[in-house]
Amino acid sequence: MPRWGMVIDLDRCTGCGACVVACQAENNVPINTEDVYHQRRAIEWIRLERYWEGEYPNIKARYIPVPCMHCQNAPCEPVCPVYATYHTSEGINMQVYNRCIGTRYCAINCHWHVRFFNFWEPKWPDSLKNQLNPNVTVRSRGVMEKCTFCIQRVVKAEHQAKLEGRDLEADEFTTACAQACPAEAIVFGDLDNPNSRVAQLVNSAVNERGYRLLEDLGTEPSVYYLKKIDPEAAAEEHSGH
Amino acid sequence: MQRYFRLVLFAAVMLVVLAIPVAAVLARSYFLAPTAQPVKAQPIQFPHQVHVQGMGLDCTFCHRGATTSAQATIPALEFCMNCHKIVPWEGRPDLERLVEAFQSGQTIQWNKVHQLPDHVHFVHAVHLNFGFQCADCHGDVGSMGKPGVKQVRDLRMGDCLTCHQQNGARTDCSVCHY
Repeated sequence: MPRWGMVIDLDRCTGCGACVVACQAENNVPINTEDVYHQRRAIEWIRLERYWEGEYPNIKARYIPVPCMHCQNAPCEPVCPVYATYHTSEGINMQVYNRCIGTRYCAINCHWHVRFFNFWEPKWPDSLKNQLNPNVTVRSRGVMEKCTFCIQRVVKAEHQAKLEGRDLEADEFTTACAQACPAEAIVFGDLDNPNSRVAQLVNSAVNERGYRLLEDLGTEPSVYYLKKIDPEAAAEEHSGH
Repeated sequence: MQRYFRLVLFAAVMLVVLAIPVAAVLARSYFLAPTAQPVKAQPIQFPHQVHVQGMGLDCTFCHRGATTSAQATIPALEFCMNCHKIVPWEGRPDLERLVEAFQSGQTIQWNKVHQLPDHVHFVHAVHLNFGFQCADCHGDVGSMGKPGVKQVRDLRMGDCLTCHQQNGARTDCSVCHY
């Protein structure tokens, strides 16, 4: 049984936003307009957080792509009154759209703000109607949605392996965001398979420069970040800036 | 009691009268009674009987995707015409419609008989690979002639789950719902 996980190398990330666009296309995420952002109701299964390091003129833009962390002790799961969000045996935090009644407790309990509520019926311009992914449900108004680690690709790869009578191979497929990343900053795979890139990164690089977002909450996220500490910025941080 | 007798009587009669259309609508709804639906009208009254029993074709001869992909797939008109270009069609309205559509480059808009909601993802290939036969879910389509195919199995979630439990398949929500 695989245990899916992700490593995001922030030293490679250039903040181009390809992962966001790829995710939007793969998972039938509706197009967010400007006023939707103003209302803080934009749906982005993976989003780019930007922050600044240093002060002008010695300033650096930094980016963190934030998908769902797929916590092993997910705070969103126990609060759902109808069990619409649950953990699969493969370590993916899933949202069952047809079971969701839209209480939004899960979104409130999520520290990473990676759960999104459909406040409206999703809409696409006519020119994009034919690009919807038939393997992903279009979520209707009133249900919660979130990153699924591209479960449709997971299921497809598992079925293909079953049809060919073999086990899943390491890095046989990847998520849309990892596939689109030009810098190969995002790596997705089976944490339990020693041959997969993600497991090798977790065993090596994560020890040197790895962390998980809000790790001290103890929710055991499945997404690891790699980031070399910038000594200059760290020094400035300590000197009170 | 005497005083309210006519009111109670009126309410009772109204309840019965209102229940009749509600029951009639529910009984005809697809998701409450999938197998009680009348046979759907199709643009061409395709007789499976002739092709399966008469010609001895296997289901997957035409529904080629069934063994390899999620969808069983309906063959393209070109595929029909492989045989039907030598089958005489004059004076047979259904076949004339087929040839006309083929020659004018149109497609036939078949009506879907076995409908699953959009949030259910069924994969034909893994079920056939496990050893199920087409007829286990679709019934004996080979003996269904004109006017068309009728749904014989419930195919609601309870039906799926019962079968999954009996055969040791996974019953995670995410197996079908994503």
